[in-house]
Amino acid sequence: MNRFALLLLLITTSSSAHQMSPTYPKLGLTHIAGVKKVEMQIFNAREDVEFYEIGVFDVNWKPINFVSLYKIIKIDYLSTVKFDVYLTDADSLAAEYLCSRSKLRSDKNNQAMLATRICSRFK
Amino acid sequence: MKKLTITLSLMLAFSPVLAENIYINGDVSSRCSIVQDTAGRWGNPSANVLTTLPASGGQVPIIRFDYTLANAYYASISTPISFSSSPSLTDSTVFTGVVSVTQTSSSDQSGYQAASTTPAANTRQYGLTIAGSTWFSATSVATHGGGNNTPFPSGSYTGIVVASCIAM
Repeated sequence: MNRFALLLLLITTSSSAHQMSPTYPKLGLTHIAGVKKVEMQIFNAREDVEFYEIGVFDVNWKPINFVSLYKIIKIDYLSTVKFDVYLTDADSLAAEYLCSRSKLRSDKNNQAMLATRICSRFK
Repeated sequence: MKKLTITLSLMLAFSPVLAENIYINGDVSSRCSIVQDTAGRWGNPSANVLTTLPASGGQVPIIRFDYTLANAYYASISTPISFSSSPSLTDSTVFTGVVSVTQTSSSDQSGYQAASTTPAANTRQYGLTIAGSTWFSATSVATHGGGNNTPFPSGSYTGIVVASCIAM
């Protein structure tokens, strides 16, 4: 019963959510020696958000260099965007988290706005 | 006999192969979603205070985490420590914030608040150990002018609550 209620909740009310998968990405080989790649996807169900920024961090949350087509990705409402993240072998050893964070517009009065961030962890 | 053998051979040669490819399809979807349940708003009960408390005309933002894996994520929520946009301020502003669990989908999640940690002064982190949904509130108060009670200049103010779902 609890599982049914949870499933119903997820189906009916995930109308303003931010999702990223996979949760535990694994870096794979590329055709360039010394470079590794991971493919991610973000689903935007936040009507108030159009852009998401991606970042790679080490275990102490210090930024790690990476390459992607765009670091700030435009994702339309209710759309999914796939993107690749490339890391050098050296950086891939230190990389721990890959995060996406919503970018907000400051055009509303006296708002305590919500930025959502989802972080996957490299395995 | 020879004719029969040839006929049978031809039949076997041209009969369709009775095999089909059976596909298994599957999608990997996110196991953690962050949902803005209620938008936040600052009320202005006195000249030098902005607060999300409803008694002062504000609205506390409510954030819901949906997660279908147990022991796989941390929920980390940070209240503002500065304005992301505001009029030019002439005095210092002190921010305080409180994050708490307001609702859970399972009574087994009742220990989340007690087990939470504060990795930073404005951040509270929860281990999401029981799969389900959890609602968090993030109260924020900004006081301008320190002991001088300097009024906030008129204009619009924006602060950002950051809600993170971090894989364990």
